[in-house]
Amino acid sequence: MSEAPALDATESKLGLLLRARGRAVVNRVAQAVHDAPIRLVAAVLLIGLIWFGLYGLFRLVFVQLSRTPLEATVAIPLVFNFFFVAMLALLTFSNAIIAYGALFGKSESPYLLTLPIAPLDVVTLKYLECLALSSWSLILLGLPMMFAMAATSEEPIFYLFFLAFFLAFIPIPGAIGLLLAWGVARFFPRRATRAVTLLTAVGLTAVIVTGLRSLQIGETATEVWLRAFLTRMSFVQSALLPNNWVAAGIDHAVNGQFPVSFRYLGVTLANAFFLSWVGVRIVSGYFDTAYDRASAGPGGERRSAAEASGGAAGWVFFYLPLPLRLIAAKDLRTFCRDPAQWSQLTILFGLLVLYLTNMPTLRLEFSASGWFLFIPFLNLCAVSLILATFTCRFVFPLVSLEGQKLWLMGVLPLPRGRVLLAKFAFSMTVTLLVAVGAMSLAAFMLNLDMVWTAIHLLVTMAICFGLCGFSVGIGARLPMFGQTNVARIASGLGGTTNLLASVALVAIVLTGVGLATWQSRYLSANTLPDARSLLLCATAALTSIAAGCAALWVGAKHFNRVEV
Amino acid sequence: MTDPSRLRTSSAAEPAIVLAGVRKSYGRTVAVRNLSLEIPRGELFAFIGPNGAGKTTTIKMIVGLLRPDDGFVQVCGHPIGSNGLAAKARLAYVPDQPFIYDKLTGREFLYFVAEMFGIPTLQRDRKLGALIRRLDIGEFLDHLTESYSHGMKQKVVLAAAMLHDPAVLVIDEPMVGLDPRTVRSVKNLFTEHTRGGGTIFMSTHTLDIAESLADRIGIIHRGELIAVGTLDQLKTQARREHSLEDVFLQLTEVGDE
Repeated sequence: MSEAPALDATESKLGLLLRARGRAVVNRVAQAVHDAPIRLVAAVLLIGLIWFGLYGLFRLVFVQLSRTPLEATVAIPLVFNFFFVAMLALLTFSNAIIAYGALFGKSESPYLLTLPIAPLDVVTLKYLECLALSSWSLILLGLPMMFAMAATSEEPIFYLFFLAFFLAFIPIPGAIGLLLAWGVARFFPRRATRAVTLLTAVGLTAVIVTGLRSLQIGETATEVWLRAFLTRMSFVQSALLPNNWVAAGIDHAVNGQFPVSFRYLGVTLANAFFLSWVGVRIVSGYFDTAYDRASAGPGGERRSAAEASGGAAGWVFFYLPLPLRLIAAKDLRTFCRDPAQWSQLTILFGLLVLYLTNMPTLRLEFSASGWFLFIPFLNLCAVSLILATFTCRFVFPLVSLEGQKLWLMGVLPLPRGRVLLAKFAFSMTVTLLVAVGAMSLAAFMLNLDMVWTAIHLLVTMAICFGLCGFSVGIGARLPMFGQTNVARIASGLGGTTNLLASVALVAIVLTGVGLATWQSRYLSANTLPDARSLLLCATAALTSIAAGCAALWVGAKHFNRVEV
Repeated sequence: MTDPSRLRTSSAAEPAIVLAGVRKSYGRTVAVRNLSLEIPRGELFAFIGPNGAGKTTTIKMIVGLLRPDDGFVQVCGHPIGSNGLAAKARLAYVPDQPFIYDKLTGREFLYFVAEMFGIPTLQRDRKLGALIRRLDIGEFLDHLTESYSHGMKQKVVLAAAMLHDPAVLVIDEPMVGLDPRTVRSVKNLFTEHTRGGGTIFMSTHTLDIAESLADRIGIIHRGELIAVGTLDQLKTQARREHSLEDVFLQLTEVGDE
């Protein structure tokens, strides 16, 4: 027994913590290469696909702008300004969520707090982790933009400046997010935290909606519109906002004005360091009180809220027999009580609704050119891909999560196959409500005629059926019963299989509808589709339903035999 | 709240753990009320109580995870409050659901803990070798810990806790998930640790383990320490001659009335 430990308790342990993190990353990569090379390749390919898509989009914008040098002088800094102001909002929000989970979650923080580590080291570690996770924005969005911009710049040193600006920019939203997370833990009791998260999400969406609504000033592509737009958005160019420093600095670097660009880089860096220092110092200085409040605040749901959610569940699943309704209601309650689930669904579909409500400005041009079906088809693609993401991430793990309580299902007077049916009914109801709602809104905004609206809605329902059938069926066929972490279940062998199958299903269905859209490209808005187009859409929808049924059948067959 | 800075400096005669007038509430629910307790060095103290009595809250205050609303906590003469690094350097904590980095191997995790407590390499290897043999963890120590069962994790976390010879070991349900052979090894390990001057604060529902190992036993009920003493003293207080189970049931029943 050591009376006087050899260690200096005040010595920084940050290096040791970072080395342990590094070791864990090396082990994780080695494991991925050894155990799941296909998944790794699939992930890289998907990222590459997104990356090249964005590169093409950015390049299109910059090449288009460079054709009119006078306009480009004004427009390019504005593009950067809007890009970085959007990044500022998104990264602040995502950093706040990540930092809250990292600092006040139930896994590592309690362990570190019992070790002789100064709170400063713990907070610095978590802050650096948040920054590393934020770097997705650099890889996914920043690099395609940089290469696209480079195509229009003759200064090779521009790359260095762009990277330096991006890296200097990331800590600014990171530090603000860190402070926000700490503020929520420090000043709001636990019961209020969920409400605060929801309010923040709603507030952020409202700000974006209001901002975009303000852009709808009459018809687009006119000088009046452009002037009004620039006037309304002039606040974005405030000299006090970091997006303006970065945008101005990159613009000067593009034009070879490096001393000015360097000055902006200095301003950005100085603010990044200062904010990081302030954020880490404040949070670490009062970390124990914030942690105490976050973990000891009043928890649990009020009885009235529980009764309300139970009543709502009974109403939503009215069409199910009682035993299945109870299981579906249990899943709905779990969904409502897990902010990670409902917040992601809200954000994904919130952004979609935002996009849909801003489409009327495009309507005239497309209907005039005979391409009135093109935008609705793209909407269908977006909704389908978001649905696939949602079902793979949240519906697929439902069966695996029952693993530790499977005995409970086993002793219920209910065949196991009906348990799967309840999971399917739950996921279908949630996805149908959201997807059909979004597609109806899109059709209304585009003034799409009744026949095409009905076709798109029916195809959306069929895609919901197929994707939910896949996620529940494959989830039952390739479950991960020992695991309680939803993210790990979704990224396992079964999850990857489900992802690939879902993407393939969406691709097949959309190919069918895409061909029908192509077939009807010369039709005017009020002409009915021909028989061939109808047949293509019907085949696509039936394929999706048949695939969903097949997956459910295979899953039920396996699930009836499984022993845990 | 009492100012811990007024307390005396650490010495060998200082109790290993001091809880003085400690109170903790969760919203309107008082989890621990006016808890005062001193645990001398070299003692194995068993802390028992019904579910929700305040055992885990007390433990979390001792190890610095929660701050008392009132009163103070000291470990080896050092306050555990804000930034209690000196106290934490003398502590080891094994919770009922142990945390372990799942993408590290057991050995990497143990090396991490050894470095955290500044144990020189030679001393680490010597101590680790002995713990590997006693807890029988050599076979899986080089696998990623994500593949471990609860019992395997518990053994590795116990080894990590004992690696730096803590002056105070705080442990919540130590025997859950362990096989009978390991239970015996752990019991021996605890006995040797207290004989060497170390202190163990153990929370458990397994009353025979408390009965067979503990020097003193504390019973907490509805946030209040309703009895503390040796087994014989508790039997006298409860007017029961038989087992700790009888004593526990009698005292907590009285507490309910």
